[in-house]
Amino acid sequence: MTPEHIHPGPAWHDLAGWCVTAGALLACAAYLLAARRLGRRGDAWPWPRDAVFTTGCLAVAWAMTAEPPGGPFTSHVTRHLVVGMAAPLLLVLGRPLTLALRALPPGPLRRALPAAAHARPVAVLLLPPVAAVVDLGGLWLLHRTGLFAATHRQPLLNAVTQAHVLAAGLLFTFAVCQLDPVRRRRSLALRGSALLAAGAAHAVLAKGLYGAPPPGTDFTAADLRTGAQLMYYGGDLVEIALAVTLAVQWYARRHAPRPTGRRGPEHRPPGHAHRRARPGSHRVRPVQAQEGRLRACGHPPGRRLSDRWPAEGCRTGRPCSV
Amino acid sequence: MNDPERPLRRPRPEPRRSLAVCALIGAALMAAVDEIVFHQLLAWHHFYDRSTTDIGLLSDGLLHTAELLALVAGFFLYADLRRRRALAAAHARAGLFIGLGAFQLFDGVVDHKLLRLHQIRYGTDVTPYDWAWNLGGLALLLIGCTLALRAARRSRAEPTT
Repeated sequence: MTPEHIHPGPAWHDLAGWCVTAGALLACAAYLLAARRLGRRGDAWPWPRDAVFTTGCLAVAWAMTAEPPGGPFTSHVTRHLVVGMAAPLLLVLGRPLTLALRALPPGPLRRALPAAAHARPVAVLLLPPVAAVVDLGGLWLLHRTGLFAATHRQPLLNAVTQAHVLAAGLLFTFAVCQLDPVRRRRSLALRGSALLAAGAAHAVLAKGLYGAPPPGTDFTAADLRTGAQLMYYGGDLVEIALAVTLAVQWYARRHAPRPTGRRGPEHRPPGHAHRRARPGSHRVRPVQAQEGRLRACGHPPGRRLSDRWPAEGCRTGRPCSV
Repeated sequence: MNDPERPLRRPRPEPRRSLAVCALIGAALMAAVDEIVFHQLLAWHHFYDRSTTDIGLLSDGLLHTAELLALVAGFFLYADLRRRRALAAAHARAGLFIGLGAFQLFDGVVDHKLLRLHQIRYGTDVTPYDWAWNLGGLALLLIGCTLALRAARRSRAEPTT
């Protein structure tokens, strides 16, 4: 398969690629502006989040516009790894929803965002097994049916596929990591199992591609093998990063000072995080009052109350970094 | 965690948990070593040789992913034990050997022989390799069991630590 077949015509594919790139850069700008707004107000927003989110956006922009190195299949796999796996993780680690909730001024948009995040269909999609099926199911469909060959003939289909890869990757990563406030927090066991199943499905697909190309394509054997191994080991790296994200959450919450009568933070009633401090209430408070409340929670003094919205901050005993 | 409001509890070792956590780490480590040394460095095993059955491929993928997750989980569980000063060192050592041995034996018997995912080496008589592999696993497992028994006996002798 010649490179012209992979990237047919300038029109649709390029247009879609540039649209996604523009979207990524806009999202990046909006994120940095929102973070700056928090900073001006005197609220803390850790800079590593700015860094990971920006990196994620740039990675998407790069993968959608540039041609990754290697043969056609290897290049396709690189794009899949960046757009569908690595960039979503970086974007989710930036906690964009949390930032939006904190930065938006009170108004309809500010109210609509949590409402959308808590809507029932969204909650179903964010169930980790469902998100895993959407993500990995799409990947299997692409590589094990005629879809892959069809995307090369129909540029519009190619654009839709690329968009789905990014969206599904974001959905899965968001559902597994659960760093932003959503309707229901899922247990670590459920999220870990979804990650295990998804990782296994990815590994099996990668090994299968080593032996047999997607139907209707004729990549060279060397290209196919390089691409398949890249997919296998690249997938491992992202999966380890996801596992570390989950493990850090577990480690931070475990053995935190407990509220009376409950076994631990994970046994808090759902929605508790939102009752702690109302998202909109970020008026600057007198320092005395802030410190008093923080000390009552067993927190090191000198941190602002709004530092710890919306999450678990207060009872975990770790320094607040939400 | 230095929390001034938290009462200081005396550290209490958790032998069973130490053993289980280190067994998990041991199994994951052996899987990783197998993959790195035999697949990557020596290239004795194949990445995928098409002769693998579908069920073999699925089990291979699951096992590989589980190994990665277990390695991460084991590290954090171990760190948690250390943080709470609940690590029972002798039990932990025993657990590590049990994990190493159990995985190697499992790999040798189930993956190589029952599922026939891959062989240790291709193009030669594989029997001596199989024997060395499985006996090595068995030896590690026995060392682990001996250490575990000894650790259990010692902790029974001095129950309050």
